[in-house]
Amino acid sequence: MAGVWILAESREPTLELLSAGIDIAAQLGVKVAAFALSSQLAEEYIKCGCDEVMLLPPLAAGQPLESYVPVIVEEALLNGPDIILIGASQRGREIAARAAAALNTGLCSGCTGLRLDQEKKQLVMERMLFGGAAVQTVVCETRPQMATIPPRTFEQAQPAEGHQGEVRQLPAAPPSPVTVVERTPKTSEAVDITEAKTVVCVGRGVGKQEDIALARELAGVLGGEVGCSRPVAEDLRWLPEELYLGISGKKVKPDLYIGVGVAGQIQHVSGIRDSKVIVGINRDENAPIFEAADYGIVGDLYDIVPKLVKEIKAALKI
Amino acid sequence: MPRIIACFKWVMDEADIKADPKSRQLVLDRVGYKISDYDRNAIEEAVQLQEKHGGSVVGITVATPGAKPCLKDALSRGPEKACFVNDPAFENLDPSQTAAILAAAIDGKIEYDLIICGEGSSDLYAQQVGPALAEKLGIPCATYVNKLTYVEGENKVIAQRKLDDGLETVSVKLPALITVLPDLNTPRIPSLKQVLGAAKKPVDNVSLANLQQTFEPCLKTTGILAATMERRRLKFTADPEDIRKVVDSLIKEGVIA
Amino acid sequence: MEEEKFAAIIVGAGPAGSTAAYMLAKAGLEVLLVEKGAAPGVKNMFGGRMYSHALNQVIPDFWEEAPLERAVARELITFLDGGRSLTLNCQDLSWTEPPYHSFTLLRAEFDAWLAGKAEEAGAMLACGIRVDDLLIKDGKVAGIIAGEDEMAADVVIAADGVNSLIAQKAGLRKKAPAPHQVGTGAKQVIKLSPEAVSRRFGLSGNNGAAQLFVGDCTKGMQGGGFLYTNKDSISLGLIVSAAELQKNKHRISDLLEEFKASPHIAPLIEGGEVVEYSAHLVPEAGLGMMPQLYSDGILVTGDAAGFVLNLGYVVRGMDFAIASGAAAARAVLSARAANDFSRQKLGLYQQFLKDSFVLRDLEAYRGAPHFLEIQRMFKAYPQFATGLVSKIFTVDGGEPEHLLGKALGQIKKSGIGWGQLAGDGWKGARLL
Ligand SMILES: Cc1cc2nc3c(=O)[nH]c(=O)nc-3n(C[C@H](O)[C@H](O)[C@H](O)COP(=O)(O)OP(=O)(O)OC[C@H]3O[C@@H](n4cnc5c(N)ncnc54)[C@H](O)[C@@H]3O)c2cc1C
Ligand SMILES: Cc1cc2nc3c(=O)[nH]c(=O)nc-3n(C[C@H](O)[C@H](O)[C@H](O)COP(=O)(O)OP(=O)(O)OC[C@H]3O[C@@H](n4cnc5c(N)ncnc54)[C@H](O)[C@@H]3O)c2cc1C
Ligand SMILES: Nc1ncnc2c1ncn2[C@@H]1O[C@H](COP(=O)(O)O)[C@@H](O)[C@H]1O
Repeated sequence: MAGVWILAESREPTLELLSAGIDIAAQLGVKVAAFALSSQLAEEYIKCGCDEVMLLPPLAAGQPLESYVPVIVEEALLNGPDIILIGASQRGREIAARAAAALNTGLCSGCTGLRLDQEKKQLVMERMLFGGAAVQTVVCETRPQMATIPPRTFEQAQPAEGHQGEVRQLPAAPPSPVTVVERTPKTSEAVDITEAKTVVCVGRGVGKQEDIALARELAGVLGGEVGCSRPVAEDLRWLPEELYLGISGKKVKPDLYIGVGVAGQIQHVSGIRDSKVIVGINRDENAPIFEAADYGIVGDLYDIVPKLVKEIKAALKI
Repeated sequence: MPRIIACFKWVMDEADIKADPKSRQLVLDRVGYKISDYDRNAIEEAVQLQEKHGGSVVGITVATPGAKPCLKDALSRGPEKACFVNDPAFENLDPSQTAAILAAAIDGKIEYDLIICGEGSSDLYAQQVGPALAEKLGIPCATYVNKLTYVEGENKVIAQRKLDDGLETVSVKLPALITVLPDLNTPRIPSLKQVLGAAKKPVDNVSLANLQQTFEPCLKTTGILAATMERRRLKFTADPEDIRKVVDSLIKEGVIA
Repeated sequence: MEEEKFAAIIVGAGPAGSTAAYMLAKAGLEVLLVEKGAAPGVKNMFGGRMYSHALNQVIPDFWEEAPLERAVARELITFLDGGRSLTLNCQDLSWTEPPYHSFTLLRAEFDAWLAGKAEEAGAMLACGIRVDDLLIKDGKVAGIIAGEDEMAADVVIAADGVNSLIAQKAGLRKKAPAPHQVGTGAKQVIKLSPEAVSRRFGLSGNNGAAQLFVGDCTKGMQGGGFLYTNKDSISLGLIVSAAELQKNKHRISDLLEEFKASPHIAPLIEGGEVVEYSAHLVPEAGLGMMPQLYSDGILVTGDAAGFVLNLGYVVRGMDFAIASGAAAARAVLSARAANDFSRQKLGLYQQFLKDSFVLRDLEAYRGAPHFLEIQRMFKAYPQFATGLVSKIFTVDGGEPEHLLGKALGQIKKSGIGWGQLAGDGWKGARLL
């Protein structure tokens, strides 16, 4: 089936893309199809407005999800969709890149906004460039038009009363030259940093892992949560990855963001741009964080943070 | 003994990019260039594998002729040879073009067992060129790898992928392509001798004409606007009075209570 | 292995180092130019104007290929006092014809170009490498040490700028310069359209202006402000005595912000966007801080040797750097011809410098730094001059007063003693 295709690793992102897909399909006067990994999900997608579900058969043991690429490519070649929207999980990104290459078409990765140019029947897609310093607008000259879209870009599609659709079984994935030998699921102990009203963010300026306690104390008096920069999570592994903010991490919109020893490189700032108030603490007066902050405090964090805690306690009478 | 290709891109240093707040146009005339951050990890990994298992490392880049300084930079990081695929037309390529050009420059021309790319380039961060190149070359790939082992004698690598929902260790038959995360290694800082040595290493120049193909873009950029942010940019010192002022302001703004 | 030896190693790819490397490479020597920055010029800053004469000796008609901004046609000196200012404005269009008198330029591009010339001539350029120490053999400098690596050379040229580590390591200078020997400079490059730049400074075509400021902008501290027009930007900054900054607990960045906001500057940069900010030291003590210029196997050039002249109305460092780099290259060539890199032979360097404008000009203005250290220069005199001239122009129905009377009144008001005035006047005329 031509039309708008949706592909995501799991339920929530599929429903999010579905709501965007339904909207575009309506404007184009075409149908919406989604890939599903179980018939149960297939039913739900149909209820939520999907016209067709392409059911992917289960993978053999040791096959990674990316083994579906040839199946997806084959379907696309047969049916010629106009648009394929893919959830930008890591696997989604690989699948999208390989499928786009196989289909000789363009892919807008990390698409943060899209609309339809009715006249040209073309998606106008936005994405970040230079670590978030700029927004690039692209259109795709070839077909299908493809985009990977980060989670939570759209609201989830809701069940529509009595919506009907078809389920079509796809062939099994061919054997893959990549075999999974081990999986360690993430133990999700971390808080959802995107919900916090106040975020105290730890950067590499915090010299030792124990000293994160300073940031915790500050977060404590403010009733907030502790987040971090990418190197603190990835290189140093001091905090879980769910807590790093930025273009490749979480995007947050708290009322108050306090960066403690965070340089404020653009890739980081891209994730905190929508905070209501930004405070930066850094001993380098030329640190980029001060360009991005409402209140910049120049000095040693080991000196400033305790003073800040004290002042806040005094002001709030705690 | 793996023959390795490391793909690297010469990018504008995003820290140098300024914007005109009114027109939101980027001011690019004083930007410096660098090897894309995560490609330094890609090169480093290739070189470490070679140091351990022997074989060879070729650095490859697709760029305009003006990117020539990247060769010395890349070669000083350890590869023994560079392939400089350059043409004035190779400006603002979209990822599909880059992947196609790399494939044309590699396929049948450079012998390899393993290709290593960065997770994403610092400028586009499309995270596409690696997997797309693998697809074009018809070889398997493993993306987002933060641990990589070459299994001698078995012609395969074991790669640990770091994904949204956890870790996944995969075994991949060679030839294959890997894209790497920055926590995989710490790129070396080239020493004087390495920098001097780089100048003597061979470079293969490959032009568009040599590739005997054309490469049309799939994506068309219709606009680039700076992401501007209105902030007050007030600065304070660590003096207690200053800190008090900040706290008072935050209370007034209603963000602490 | 022997092949790992260079005829000369030059530390620092600023104007001094690149000039020396260029000349030596052109003469066919194996030259290594080592720069700690990722590329030449990335971290280098200066006010904004280079006098052409020195480079024209080394690369005749360099303006045909060098990345330059504007040829300076207009010189301005402005005295500031609160809401008052007094400007001396001089235009000479002959300055904008070959051999152009001076050019504004931006260091990142210029330094990269000059280092590129050296590379083209055959010098080996190694960027991103910091030289940590000197290789000493039999009490003579025999090469450099960078990290783990040693590299041998017949001669090393220290061109590593104001804080020259190399001159210190060679024992030619005791330690880094003291605060009273240096000025702290801070500069912003502010982007405007080329038309706006030309219009605001009354410049035709791509002519440029250079403006220096004395008075309020340094809060009476020793130093001054500068402004240079580039093609489509303005370089604006301050240089203030490091010792006085320290003493008065001022931050140069704050002073610069205040300067920008002042009514004398704000209209000139209105609507402009800051695209670059940098800070750097300037040697200021003239011959007083000159180290020993050479020893066995080593020569010291440019800022490393303290070759800067800051007269308040003129700031010169680049032309000294280039000329001293050239003199060093010539000395090395002579030494090589004799295969003698001893202190005695390299002493030719000092002779070349004496024969050129470098030591001659520095000698001529020997007393200037002390003169400029006089506080009155930066507060009382600007107050006096602006006050006097503003008085001359003020028509308010008050009693008429002759010029002399006005001057006397202003002198009294500014609190300058008669003796001081006479003394300063005499010294100033003699020194500057
Ligand atoms: C493609 C790409 C994607 C990226 N994505 C992200 C992302 O999503 N999120 C992210 O965070 N980064 C990301 N990065 C990395 C980013 O470019 C920066 O390298 C990173 O944000 C820097 O982290 P940091 O500020 O903690 O560390 P640093 O850059 O090391 O800065 C530490 C700061 O602390 C200051 N400091 C040190 N000691 C003290 C003290 N005692 N008191 C006060 N201040 C002190 C220093 O002056 C310095 O400014 C990405 C990079 C690339 C290339
Ligand atoms: C604020 C300010 C305004 C000025 N205005 C003017 C002006 O308008 N006109 C003018 O003519 N002059 C001006 N000057 C002076 C001028 O900038 C200097 O005199 C000139 O740059 C000196 O050149 P140099 O080559 O000796 O040193 P630099 O230009 O300082 O170059 C030294 C080089 O050595 C490198 N280096 C240092 N240490 C090492 C090491 N250990 N290993 C490797 N490399 C190293 C540095 O990175 C640098 O590239 C100004 C200076 C300042 C600070
Ligand atoms: N022009 C290029 N030349 C060589 N390799 C490239 C180029 N562009 C991207 N790559 C490689 O592909 C990776 C992903 O790039 P991107 O798809 O642009 O995010 C980079 O980390 C590089 O390893």
